[in-house]
Amino acid sequence: MHKHRPSNKPMSRRELLATCGNGFGSVALMGLLGSLPFGNKLMATPSLVSDPRVPHFVPKARSIIFLYMDGGISQVDSFDPKPRLAKENGQSPYDKFEVETTQFNNIGKILKSPWDFKQYGESGMWVSDLFPHIATCVDDIAMIRSMTSEFPEHTNANYFLHTGSGIQGRPSMGAWVTYGLGSENQNLPGYVVLDGGLTPPGGLDNFKNGFLPATYQASVLQPKEIPLANVIPNESQEAQLAKMKYLNRLDNNLLNKIGQPDQVEAAINNYELAYKMQSSVPELSNFKDESKITKQLYGLESDDPHCRHYGAQCLLARRLVERGVRFIELTCPNTGHDRWDQHSNLKKGHEDNAHAVDQPIAGLLKDLKARGLLEDTLVVFAGEFGRTPFAQGKDGRDHNPSAFSIWLAGAGIAAGTVYGRTDEYGYKVIEDKTSFHDLHATMLHLLGMDHERLTYRFSGRDIRLTDVHGRVIKGVLS
Amino acid sequence: MVLLSGLFFACTEQSVEHVDLKDLPDKVDFNYHIRPILAQNCFLCHGPDPSSRQGDLRLDTYEGATADLKNGKAIIPHNAGNSLVMDRVSSSDPDFQMPPPEMKKTLTSKEIALIEKWINQGAEWKEHWAFIKPTIEQDAILEKEVSKQIDVYINQKLEQKKLQSSRPATTYQLIRRVAYLITGLPPTVEELEQFSNDTDDSYEQMVDYYLASQRYGERWARHWMDLVRYAEHMGHEFDYTINGAPLYRDYLIRAFNIDLSYDQLVKEHLAGDLIEDPRLHPTEGYNESIIATAYANLGEGKHSPVSIKEEESIRIDNMIDVTSKTFQALTVSCAKCHDHKFDPIPTTDYYAMYGMFESTRFGPKPLTDQRLIKTASQEILAEKEKAKKAIIQLLKSDQTDIAISESIDIKQFIEAQSDQSNNNFVKILGDFTQGSWGNWQTDGYAFGEAPTSQNLSIDLENNKIEIAPSAATSRTFTSGLLGTLRSPTFIIEHDTISVLAKGKESSIRVIVDNFQLIQNPLYGSLSKLVNSDQYEMYNLDVSMLKGHKAYIEILPGIYKQHQYHLDSSAYVDAQLVYTSNAQLDLQYPETIESQVTIAIGDQIKAIDAWHNNKPSNRDIKIINAKLENNKPALWGSSTILASLEKIDKSSSALVGSPMIHTMSEGDAVLSPVFIRGSYKDLSKEKVAHGFLTATKLENDNFPQEGSGRLAWAESVLHPDNPLTSRVIVNRIWHHLFGQGIVETVDNFGLQGKLPTHPELLDYLAITFVKDNWSIKRLIKEILMSETFRKSTIPMEENLSTDADNLYLHHFPIRRLEAEAIRDGVLASSQRLDTSMFGRPVPIHLTEFMTGRGRPRRSGPLDGEGRRSVYGSIRRNFLPPMMLTFDMPIPFSSFGKRNTTNVPAQSLALMNDPFIQEQAEHWAQNTIDDPNKSTTERIEHIYLTAFARKPTTVETQEAIQLLQDLAGGSISDEKLKNNLELWTHFCHSIYNLKEFIHLL
Repeated sequence: MHKHRPSNKPMSRRELLATCGNGFGSVALMGLLGSLPFGNKLMATPSLVSDPRVPHFVPKARSIIFLYMDGGISQVDSFDPKPRLAKENGQSPYDKFEVETTQFNNIGKILKSPWDFKQYGESGMWVSDLFPHIATCVDDIAMIRSMTSEFPEHTNANYFLHTGSGIQGRPSMGAWVTYGLGSENQNLPGYVVLDGGLTPPGGLDNFKNGFLPATYQASVLQPKEIPLANVIPNESQEAQLAKMKYLNRLDNNLLNKIGQPDQVEAAINNYELAYKMQSSVPELSNFKDESKITKQLYGLESDDPHCRHYGAQCLLARRLVERGVRFIELTCPNTGHDRWDQHSNLKKGHEDNAHAVDQPIAGLLKDLKARGLLEDTLVVFAGEFGRTPFAQGKDGRDHNPSAFSIWLAGAGIAAGTVYGRTDEYGYKVIEDKTSFHDLHATMLHLLGMDHERLTYRFSGRDIRLTDVHGRVIKGVLS
Repeated sequence: MVLLSGLFFACTEQSVEHVDLKDLPDKVDFNYHIRPILAQNCFLCHGPDPSSRQGDLRLDTYEGATADLKNGKAIIPHNAGNSLVMDRVSSSDPDFQMPPPEMKKTLTSKEIALIEKWINQGAEWKEHWAFIKPTIEQDAILEKEVSKQIDVYINQKLEQKKLQSSRPATTYQLIRRVAYLITGLPPTVEELEQFSNDTDDSYEQMVDYYLASQRYGERWARHWMDLVRYAEHMGHEFDYTINGAPLYRDYLIRAFNIDLSYDQLVKEHLAGDLIEDPRLHPTEGYNESIIATAYANLGEGKHSPVSIKEEESIRIDNMIDVTSKTFQALTVSCAKCHDHKFDPIPTTDYYAMYGMFESTRFGPKPLTDQRLIKTASQEILAEKEKAKKAIIQLLKSDQTDIAISESIDIKQFIEAQSDQSNNNFVKILGDFTQGSWGNWQTDGYAFGEAPTSQNLSIDLENNKIEIAPSAATSRTFTSGLLGTLRSPTFIIEHDTISVLAKGKESSIRVIVDNFQLIQNPLYGSLSKLVNSDQYEMYNLDVSMLKGHKAYIEILPGIYKQHQYHLDSSAYVDAQLVYTSNAQLDLQYPETIESQVTIAIGDQIKAIDAWHNNKPSNRDIKIINAKLENNKPALWGSSTILASLEKIDKSSSALVGSPMIHTMSEGDAVLSPVFIRGSYKDLSKEKVAHGFLTATKLENDNFPQEGSGRLAWAESVLHPDNPLTSRVIVNRIWHHLFGQGIVETVDNFGLQGKLPTHPELLDYLAITFVKDNWSIKRLIKEILMSETFRKSTIPMEENLSTDADNLYLHHFPIRRLEAEAIRDGVLASSQRLDTSMFGRPVPIHLTEFMTGRGRPRRSGPLDGEGRRSVYGSIRRNFLPPMMLTFDMPIPFSSFGKRNTTNVPAQSLALMNDPFIQEQAEHWAQNTIDDPNKSTTERIEHIYLTAFARKPTTVETQEAIQLLQDLAGGSISDEKLKNNLELWTHFCHSIYNLKEFIHLL
């Protein structure tokens, strides 16, 4: 099949300037959506790093789809089978291991998983009955069972996962990526969050640019007729066009009168882009050109409205990848169980959540693969922490940042691998302990960036997404 | 696999530089030429932090750089040829070259040549410029007027750099420039008329006019709010309210408007609660100075941290970050895990500050008229005395027997507990039955001077008069008053803290590691609601927090969702506080046996004891029984009733004050160093309180009692502090020119930018202090300079030499800030409501704003027409339009905002319903004036929006647009009342770049 996306061939500065002679584009304009690597000196953002950079080495991936499992999915119920939990179900965890304080500290008994695990694919990877569809994709997946976080509270853990720091105000990974690489599409933002219905604790700050220029913040697209604030005009097209022409003439007069400062020129060009976005953004969610088979693949014809909803988000993610959007994050659908955060009623909560996302995610992986897009798209599936092997109260599980499973698929990934190991309860990591810093380093690595060199000067330091930590997780790379 | 072109790598090739020795300065300056190279390339491994130092070489000091190494010396002054540094930086051997290849840094040929020349000139070391006290050169001939002197310094640099100054800006441009920069609003058409008459002093009059405007404080307060990461909510999951934050915002506005001297502003921020003579609000009479201390409390807050100690370390880290940047432009928080990699800031400086904040307590403070407190409390006490006399007379006349139940002696009870308990331990933490606070402290005035032994409490609502037994009571004067009784800081050693108390709608809280957001599931046991008119034992389970530091606070009022509420009937009386390993259901048995009859003789004795102000608790019981018996007579006595009514009246003047969480002193806590920044790994030694050592101020006598905040403030304001005055004048310069003399306004350290005009900076810093730290005066001097009045249009010939306009050959063009854009929109449409202060205007919620803690109700689209500074700042629901135009997210100090250019900005101005709505209002105003012709209307709109008249071409363009929108042509008569067309036109004006830029 064809790849419907722009070439990844980066432009030299000379080429770039040449391109600017055509159409309405200009160098300044291309910097607007972070479409130039590392911002752009010509754009009036005085705080940008002074040396323009290019990717540090050959990239494997050009886009990332981040499937955010908000609330903390349980590793021992999904991808990390622990037969011992079944054997010791109902016994006191205090007799088994040292129990740490948890968020609710309502420590119950050892709790076996309500789901059976089976092996799938050539790799024989274990997946629980929660994810029958994802189970069919295991040979495209690298499973990390040894992920850890530093925070047991949602907000800090969310910030940590998204920004590499547990406190508010740091740039999100998507912002770092677009800051580092820019976008390939001139009419769409480089960093898009598809709002599945639930904004994670910590709010939209999980997706912000922090101290990076606002150019790099996420555009949060909502699954609505109007996906983005102010993207639909409140006036007739004719009226708007007449006004745009008027603005263009007068603004250019001003520009000539005041010595053509870059800043004003960039602001003028900004309008042309905004004008185009009014059509390019709504067009994204127009699925008319998608086949029935595709729609079925993504679960758009499911009886479960949450599955249909999340399926549409996944399909949208593929369409964004096709259009060269650099970083796409999907947030969770609202199945009425407060995300994956099952402090009680684990069975029903996880079941409904899994049902909503399982088929769409498998559909996305298969569709990307069929279209040849999976080889340069990295798909990441992760929550902010895992859950305890013992119950909270009777039938829930509390937060566990000490061990949980996430997986990667696509560009540069050693498909069918399982990396890292937890103890017999799935409570602590005992082999190949991994952190979000490592995940970030790996994501940047696959995009062709050295996480130690992707820096931004703030507050007297050259700050990195990975702070002073992070190592590329070689064990999951092909 | 992704295909790569050759071009992809082309950009990474190093270009070979040829250094022309003529390009090097005659005299190489260490501060301006050499240190930046060393700091960028060498200090990470050869800097002040010993933990990461390599090869035992440090290049940040002269001694270090010239010390003997194995093979010689890194630097030998006057002898670059034999200096090892030169071999290393010039080498291409990967094992030998410096910086090593893995650092991915290489020196340019020019940098190497500079180092060589500097060594040969003697390798003169200088301290980092910012740590040397500002000076004015002795032989400098100074202009009389500061504004002229500014021009002298600027012009000297321009001459040196061979740059041409731009022409002066037009009068109209200057009016708009000054109006926006000083007040954040465009000039009105009337103001334009008033100040455009071009007489000699009209410019100065205009400057004075805007500086005197109340709008000035609103704009400059917002600049300051960026520094202290101002917010009204705490973020995290549920975005709880920060108590009283808007009162701090109002404080700032008043402070800037009265031109509060900057030294006073600093002092009030750091130690407003400790100032002997606090300022009073001019009309309300409450303590102004204390409000400033709320700045430190405006950060985030998390309600259920699994580690309470870690939470404290995060909060204090943020306070250190904000405080050190705001007042000293130093990034002290970089020294949390190790000595600062670049600046002379050791970790001990960080933990000295840590101890300061750790020893500081936060709690609600009432803003009550201080003058009223004095008079009303005296009145109340006098009337209580009168009432007492009348009551005594009345009680004595009652000869009937009464019965009381005997109470257990409290001391006995406690001792009994000690005996019974298995752990055999009860430790008294506070005893308020003996007329003294012991080592406890009170805050506010509700508890009076000391615990009372006989307070007459009157409850008019419930017809109840009684005397309180010996206790600490918050109703010394009346109920509904705020005061807090706090214990010393102690380490939790036992399971339970017990408080014997009674009261209404009041709280007992154990504040562990300064953690305030007490709630379930983890910390609910740290707080108890007191709501009983009989003494009860309140037992707080602290068993899970043994080893943590804590203090106890007893206060009237309660926290709902972490917001403090004080009912007018709330009060608390407390007698005893102790800690034990006893069971949680420990009860205090108020009575031990059944009633005993008290004969008349004993009754009289009790009354006499009261008369002599020495009643025992038993006496009080007898009197209270008699009071109960004589209710009808008491309430029938006109003397008593008159007193009670007077007391009630005086009381009502005191209750209902606004509340704000501010600082108060705790016991001195000295912090250990957190090794590698971990709260779990502490050094044995504790760090004494002290000031930042980089300033080289005397630290030996730094007080070690309390928090040391006052001493810290005094160090900031010390005449030898090299930073304070420079930092603030640079901030003011930055706000006026859009660029600081030091570009990195929050970082004067080695990683910051060097000043473009160091002499000017020093001159302004010194003059500023001499002029009594007056911000308005400095602003005026800068505005009066020729430099400020230049046009934004650069001279063609300068563009190749100083395109970035570092030397101010023209006035920098700039985009307006988010607030100025929104306020300008409202001003143009005449929908601006200039009323000041008060509760934040609720955020307007759109369907695009989702998430936890979402307010239940949306605020109005137009923010009630109030200035942006009054809009609510919820961490999880920040105003999208403000953010789009670069209002900073409130997490750290932002002395300098980004100026970005994102499509969301254009989309907002094009399609946001707020802009549409205001365009319509503006259009309505326009057509409401039937006497103006179309041309006159266009002129008026131009004057309003751009502070200038349109050119002929612009008028034609405007008419053409109106015609086009009407479908080709429209008669004047039809156009006159066509709201839609004029709305389109006004909307277009909002979208012209001139509207959001300052020329």
